[in-house]
Formats: sequence, C-alpha cells, structure tokens
Amino acid sequence: MDLLIDSFISAILLLKSLDAGVCAIVLVSLKVSSSSTLIASLIGIPAGFAIAFKEFRGKRMMITILNTLLALPTVVIGLFVYAFVSRRGIFGPLDLLYTQKAIVIGQVILIMPIVTTFTIAAISRIDERYRKSAMTLGATTLQTAGVVFREARFGIMAAVIASFGRVIAEVGISMMLGGNAKGFTRTMTTAMALEYDKGEFVLAVALGLVLLTISFGVNLFFNYLQGRTRV
Amino acid sequence: MLFDITNLSKVYGDRKVLDIPELTLEKGKVYGLLGPNGSGKTTLLEILSFLLLPTTGQIVYDSRKVDYSEGFLQWLRREVVIVEQHPILFTTSVYKNVEFGPKVRKMPKDRRERVVHEMLDLVGMREFAGARANRLSGGETQRVAIARALSCSPKVILLDEPTSNVDIENQIAIEAILRDINIQKGISVIFTTHNTSQATRLSGNIVFLFNGKPASSIYENIFTGPITADGNGDKYCSIHDKLKVAVRTNKTGYVKISVNPMMIKVLPVQAADAGDRRLVGRVIQLTDEGGHVRALVDVGLPFSVLLSQEEYKRAPILAGERVALFCPQESVEVM
Repeated sequence: MDLLIDSFISAILLLKSLDAGVCAIVLVSLKVSSSSTLIASLIGIPAGFAIAFKEFRGKRMMITILNTLLALPTVVIGLFVYAFVSRRGIFGPLDLLYTQKAIVIGQVILIMPIVTTFTIAAISRIDERYRKSAMTLGATTLQTAGVVFREARFGIMAAVIASFGRVIAEVGISMMLGGNAKGFTRTMTTAMALEYDKGEFVLAVALGLVLLTISFGVNLFFNYLQGRTRV
Repeated sequence: MLFDITNLSKVYGDRKVLDIPELTLEKGKVYGLLGPNGSGKTTLLEILSFLLLPTTGQIVYDSRKVDYSEGFLQWLRREVVIVEQHPILFTTSVYKNVEFGPKVRKMPKDRRERVVHEMLDLVGMREFAGARANRLSGGETQRVAIARALSCSPKVILLDEPTSNVDIENQIAIEAILRDINIQKGISVIFTTHNTSQATRLSGNIVFLFNGKPASSIYENIFTGPITADGNGDKYCSIHDKLKVAVRTNKTGYVKISVNPMMIKVLPVQAADAGDRRLVGRVIQLTDEGGHVRALVDVGLPFSVLLSQEEYKRAPILAGERVALFCPQESVEVM
C-alpha cells in the first residue's frame, strides 16, 4: 500500500514539474492516438453508415466478421503489419518500421472494426420514421443520410470515444511497430512497460495517472460537445 | 386526374394486404380513405406517397406514368407529402423542423423564414418556433408535422389517421386546417380514418377499404364467432358468451360478420325478453353526423347504430339509457 501511495505522490510531483521527457512521451501518445482515431473515423463511420443503410447480400456475414475483428489481439495486428513494413515486406522500401506512421497503421486496423460496428449499431437503432420523414419532405439520398447521421450523432460519438480509449491504452502495436524509441515512438504505454521492466515503479504509475487524466479530459471534451449539440 | 391506379397490389410474404383493381382520385379534392384496422389504408397511403413500392400495378400521377426510377421518385416526393399517424420530429427546434423542406429545396433564407412563420401561424404553433420539437405533446407534434409538410408547398398532402392520437381540441383544429388548405391553397388532401363521422365531416369523397380491397360501403360492427344452429335450423353467429346474431349462411366454423349500422333497429328495453334474440345494452355515446345520429350501444360488445334524423326524432334515445337492439338477418353479412 505504501508503495502505491509513494508512487502516487511522486507521480503528482513529476507531473507538476512538467518534466520534458514525460511531456514528450505524452505528446507522442496524443499525436499517434489522435491520428489513428481520426483516420479510422474518416473511413469507419462512412463504412458503418453504408453497411447499416444499404441492403445487400452478405450483410449479416460482414457484420459478424466485423464483430469478430473486435477481439483482434494487438500482437496479431503488430505481427501482420510488421510483415508488410519490415525490410523484407512489400512496403519495406518506405522505411515505415519503427516510426509513428507504422503505429498509426496498426492502430487504425485495430479500431476500424470498433468505429464501424458502433456506427452500424447507432444507425440501426435510429427510428425508421426519421428516414421516411426526410424522404417525404423531398430530401435527396445524401440529405436523408445527413438526417439519419444527425439523429445518430451521440452513438457515433461514442464510437469515436471508445476507439480513442482503445488506442491510447494499447501497448502491443506501439511496442512492435514503434520500437519504443525515446522521443520518437515512445508512447505512455510503452514507456510504462519499459519502466516496469526496469523496476521504476514510480514513473510507471505517474504515466498511468497521466493516461487516465487524458482519457478523462477527452471524455469531458466529448461530453461538452454532446451537451452543445443536444437541442 | 391526380392518381389513376390500375391493378395495384402489395404482398408481404404470402399475405396480400392490398388489391385494388381500379381507383381514380381527382385533383383539388378531399378524399377520406375509410376502413377498419388492417384494411390496407396505411399501405395505400404509403404507396401514394411514393415511399413504398407496390408489388404489382400501375400508378399514373398527374397524367404521368410512375416508373419508380430514383430521379422520378425524388421529383414526385417533392409534390406529394405524407404525414404519418405517429409523426416523428427531428431532434432540433420546431423552427428547424418546419424549415427542413424549404431548405432541401434550396429556398433563399429570407423566403424560408417567411414560409416557416406562415405555416406555424396556420397551425397555431408560432409561439413554439424556438421550442424543442421532441418535447411537444401528441397534438402539438401532429400540428408541427402538418406545418412541416405544408412548408414544402406540396400539391398533395396525405395524412394517416391525423386525429387518432389527439384530444378533441386538437382534433377540431386539425380538421379546420385541412379544410383551409384545401379551399385556400387548392392542395389535394387524402386522409385515412376509421371514423365514419370524421370522413363525412371533412370529405364528400369517401373510398371504403376492406381487407385490402375497395368496398361499396363501410363495413362496421365487425365481429368473429362460430356458426351454430338451433332445432329449427336457424343459424346464428355467437359473437360473445351470451350474444348471438341471426345469420343466413352456408358457412360453418368461425366466421367474420359485419352488421350494417343503418339496418339495426333500436327498441325500448321492455320489448326485449329473455328468449328473444334482441341485444340489450346501454347507450354510451350519441354523435351528430349531419343527417344521421350515431349511437354507440354497449351490449357486452360495442355496437354502432346509425339512425336517420327522422327515426331519431320519432323515438329519441338518451345517453345512458338502456335499449334493445334488433339485428335483422338481412343486416348481417358473413364475410
């Protein structure tokens, strides 16, 4: 218990001092996680929308596959992307391995099913009458989609929040594809793993606290956005 | 001609819910689609709104054959607008809801503003412009939904049971709005109802529907029960524990019957005795239906009786009074 309390106090002091090393780690984490969440949202939300909106053969199977992909281990994604971006991989010449870009690629694969399935669920829950109302009032297909999107906005926002939470907390992909290079690809989770290996429990807990604080901050921000958009 | 329908059908699975060989609706009129629940009224209305595709058949709208291509449907939907039985308003302000139609039609903002206020005035909801649409009562929602539909400047407005979920005050207001838009703006109005008095009040043109098919008159007093016969060979349909109605039929087993409300005789309760086939009950509602008086009599099941003004004046009945009903064999149709 003492260890936890000591670590906690030291963590607060470390954060208060705005240590340059910790700041760099936090910034890398935020940059990588925000980029992957943004890219996955830009692809996953329209994809989820299209799957929920359209009727086509194999739709149920596609949703089942996407649901299965939710359980994809980060290590598997790490290995998979590694095979492509390592020197011997087909994208080897692009020199992506052990870069932030490589982490982003892996993380996008990780959260794409989350964004897509959450979006499908959010759209499917929307009352059919919204779509019919928009259509009878003369809306085009795109305008109708806009109405449904607007009504499903809280569910879609939840998809984005869940995805961000998943990537900022993951360690496997960042470690395998980023390589934990200080100042370049060291994220909060890889730094925590490293500090733990070194027996530096205090710094690990400090970073854990930062991670939770950031998650809390992000959720507060989204909560604020939801409050603003609620009429 | 507004709508010219030929051999229209709608099938769900193995159930044919609509089967209309021919139906013509004229421009600028008010039509009431009248029929009991499950008669296909809503399905027909949704097909006429071009939101639902028929299984077979042809519709000619305003002299143009409907080909169901996306572009054509889009154009048609900008002329014909439907207000559903339980309309849903977008989760934004009342103003933005009413503004939706003009906005998707790219109407300039100042004109849009004028239209929204004019329509909200028409339905008496101007002071609610800034209110949250999802917090309105049922009657207010219905009125805003009508304003939202009218702001699209449609040529035809279709309404699915527009007053079924509203109180009497809103019912009167909505009926007045429908009359006004037809007379003042020349908009064709087609509405569904299972309320005969509303249909006659609002419209001189009534289309009766029963079991998905056009009918020559409204089927009312619909009951289900087994056919039984007495020692004399007279047949009855047992519609309730102790309620039997004399029928003329060769059918056996469970049947559906309809009792014509205009042919039911209302008699003083003293005229009924235990061995008689007369149904004794209490008058629970009396309504004036322009030329007729409708009495709702609870005999264990509600029976609707339509009396001419002369009949009513000759033997007036009061609400709450106990009366006996006599349903002659010819008043009962086995379906």
